Amino acid sequence: MKKLTVVISESPGKDPRKRELEANILAALVGQPDVAVSVVPHLYDLNEDHAGALFLRSVNGPLLVLAWLYPRGIHWTLDRLGVKGRVGQTQLKRASDEDDKNDGGKDDKPRLGAANAPARTIWSLDFQDGDTAEAHVQEIIRVAAQVKAAVKLSAAEAVPVAISSPPIQNLKSKIGNPPARRWYPVIDYSRCANCMECVDFCLFGVYGVDDAGRILVESADNCRKGCPACSRVCPENAIVFPMHRTPALAGAPGTKPGDLKLDLSQLFGAPSALDLADKERDAELVKDGREAVGPPKRQPCCDLRPKDALDKLMDALDGERL
Amino acid sequence: MAGELVFMMGNFRAVFPADRRYAANHTWARTESGGAVRFGLSAYAARLLQEVYFLEWSMDAGATVREKDEIGAIESAKANAALYAPMAGIIARFNDAAMADPSIINKDGYGDGWLFEMSGDASGTMDAPAYVAHLEASWAKAQALLKGQLR
Ligand code: SF4
Ligand code: SF4
Repeated sequence: MKKLTVVISESPGKDPRKRELEANILAALVGQPDVAVSVVPHLYDLNEDHAGALFLRSVNGPLLVLAWLYPRGIHWTLDRLGVKGRVGQTQLKRASDEDDKNDGGKDDKPRLGAANAPARTIWSLDFQDGDTAEAHVQEIIRVAAQVKAAVKLSAAEAVPVAISSPPIQNLKSKIGNPPARRWYPVIDYSRCANCMECVDFCLFGVYGVDDAGRILVESADNCRKGCPACSRVCPENAIVFPMHRTPALAGAPGTKPGDLKLDLSQLFGAPSALDLADKERDAELVKDGREAVGPPKRQPCCDLRPKDALDKLMDALDGERL
Repeated sequence: MAGELVFMMGNFRAVFPADRRYAANHTWARTESGGAVRFGLSAYAARLLQEVYFLEWSMDAGATVREKDEIGAIESAKANAALYAPMAGIIARFNDAAMADPSIINKDGYGDGWLFEMSGDASGTMDAPAYVAHLEASWAKAQALLKGQLR
């Protein structure tokens, strides 16, 4: 019988309340017949050959990952590690979130989509979406029951016989040691339109293009710690910094194009997101001993009519919607 | 009408009294009898924000600010925005009534729903016709988007 593999990704810090929630969920899941549970260090900090990443890649059946990241951050961090699948629908929500059904752009623009994603499903649960272990455990059991029912329905086909069952873990110890903290962008390919703005913008060589011409985060660790600049220039809001303190940059639900509460700050005289991005990048260049490059040719110098605050606002919105 | 100008935001009639001046960041400015310049949101800004339910100032009265310094934040059901100083000077006082009940900004934005008073040089502001021309110049672009963004 196929089980749901549940992987708990630990919090990066030592916050005892977080550790307690993790431990309580783990304890409750260990006795469950339909789930196989394992623990890895903080997902975002894993690099491709960390034992935790190897383990995650070895799971080719249905997978549920619980981490201290927004679900969108979890899904695309996994994708980046080569752990791919369809987005599973979950029912836990932060109290403040409303409706986040739609996970792609609303228009007809072609999106890249995940490369080589198999038909299996990956559910991503954010620890912060429930205060109590019970809420998470219930949701996990709901998903496990769904998996079990689906397996029964399609018992004969669909499920390859040779599925490698995950190695049995000693529950007291997690897989691999906690790695060093990392900082890098993660691309949400369900939104990315492969426009290459990010490659042109980042002057630290973080982005690259694969053989098929798809944008990718090639040299993640070249990214400047704390810098989120390129996520502000991405017209599709496809660049996620899962650990950024601004929810919209960290992949919070409800922050897809057109779904944000309007930010009218520009209307009242704020620097635009693009100006902010240039400033952030310049600060990183200077820290690196290089020269600031300032705003690019984005607004051509021949455009003499001074842009007013509202124009800038509309540009920003334009960029977000189209 | 003589005393005011109208700018149509779609079907919405945004009215701008001609008895005061306007800053590019969509606030109106009027010099009070004591010499202080009183600021509030123009009908254009109020319409974009819609029902305001939260208003906060990040400084105390008496603070000296440069033009465009961030001075506070405003939130409505539809939008968030930081607020910026429309000119350089000293923030003399905030409108307690608007703090206590921000909905007054929508109800009486040109009167009791004013935001703050400053002392400083307001000569960088525009008169009502110039402000409306400024809105007209940017509206074509705004229109399509606002229809999608705001109901
Ligand atoms: S800027 Fe955004 S949409 Fe364009 S290629 Fe980069 S991630 Fe994709
Ligand atoms: S955050 Fe900065 S350094 Fe990192 S990829 Fe983006 S632009 Fe480059």
